[in-house]
Amino acid sequence: MLEALENCALAAWVRESPSIFSYTLILSLHAIGLAIVLGTSTLIALRLLGVAPAIPIESLRRLQAFIWFGFVVNLVSGVLLFIAEATKMGVMPAFIFKMSLVVIGMVLGQIIRKQVLENERALTTNVLPASARSLAILSLCCWALTLISGRLTGYPELVTALFGS
Amino acid sequence: MLEHISAALTVAPIQRLVNGHAWIWPLCETIHYVGMSLLVGIIGVLDLRILGLFRSLPMGALKPLVPLAMAAFVGNLITGVIFVTGTDSGASFYIENLSFQLKLAVLLVALINLIIFRLTGLEEAVYATPAGADAPYSAKVIAVVSLVAWTFTIVFGRLLMYNDTLLLFLGM
Repeated sequence: MLEALENCALAAWVRESPSIFSYTLILSLHAIGLAIVLGTSTLIALRLLGVAPAIPIESLRRLQAFIWFGFVVNLVSGVLLFIAEATKMGVMPAFIFKMSLVVIGMVLGQIIRKQVLENERALTTNVLPASARSLAILSLCCWALTLISGRLTGYPELVTALFGS
Repeated sequence: MLEHISAALTVAPIQRLVNGHAWIWPLCETIHYVGMSLLVGIIGVLDLRILGLFRSLPMGALKPLVPLAMAAFVGNLITGVIFVTGTDSGASFYIENLSFQLKLAVLLVALINLIIFRLTGLEEAVYATPAGADAPYSAKVIAVVSLVAWTFTIVFGRLLMYNDTLLLFLGM
């Protein structure tokens, strides 16, 4: 199935078109999208850890919408990048690890929303529930690992050296 | 002249360090991406707020995070220097690369924009803007320049390894 994806016309276009608007633009969008997701998630996590306490909890919900925007940009660009090299990426441990972490990161975001950002007491008094701290730290760790494993998809030999094959 | 600059910027001890340990380059790249993400998450969000998004945010609330954005920039400067001075083909790879030159150019625009933001007192005016209120008009111009400059810094950064595609696009 990975081969079929890689051989389809869209994948071929991403891979082979000399236009700046294909592979290179898609890569740029992916970098911008990840910066939005990671950067904004970090901002929210830092607020939950007590940094910049003047940021209203209500604003964090709006900022989560910005994370979703970045996520969608990366979902679309990511699918295009994936199909171009489906047979390589589909079996690569670093890539599979990264995708798992992306799912965990976004799920954590939803848990943060339900438990903290929509918490009545937090919204009215700025007093955060006890879980806010742990969720923030988990979120930071998760996205850090996502970034690292994402980078490592470009270094398969290094991955083998570090973790064995 | 570019060859002279490239020769001056190729630093053998850093090249040896980078070549001696396979994990250094990807670590520096990771730090570079972290810095980029922090700049987007902090300065990008501030710029968008100045332009009217996230109105429930009082602009001054982001002020404590600005030193972190500065630290992120310094981290990227340091890792950037490691890339340029430590790459095994020599600094000429970057110095003679149009994408890199354009990246530095837009970065300079972003930095000059920031200096203007500070020196004109607009920064203080922005931080004083409460939730729901509008930033001064000139601050919005600064915000647009900032967003465009930083976006293109990322784009040209990504194009570094695909400089031929850029040259083809520009008909060069």
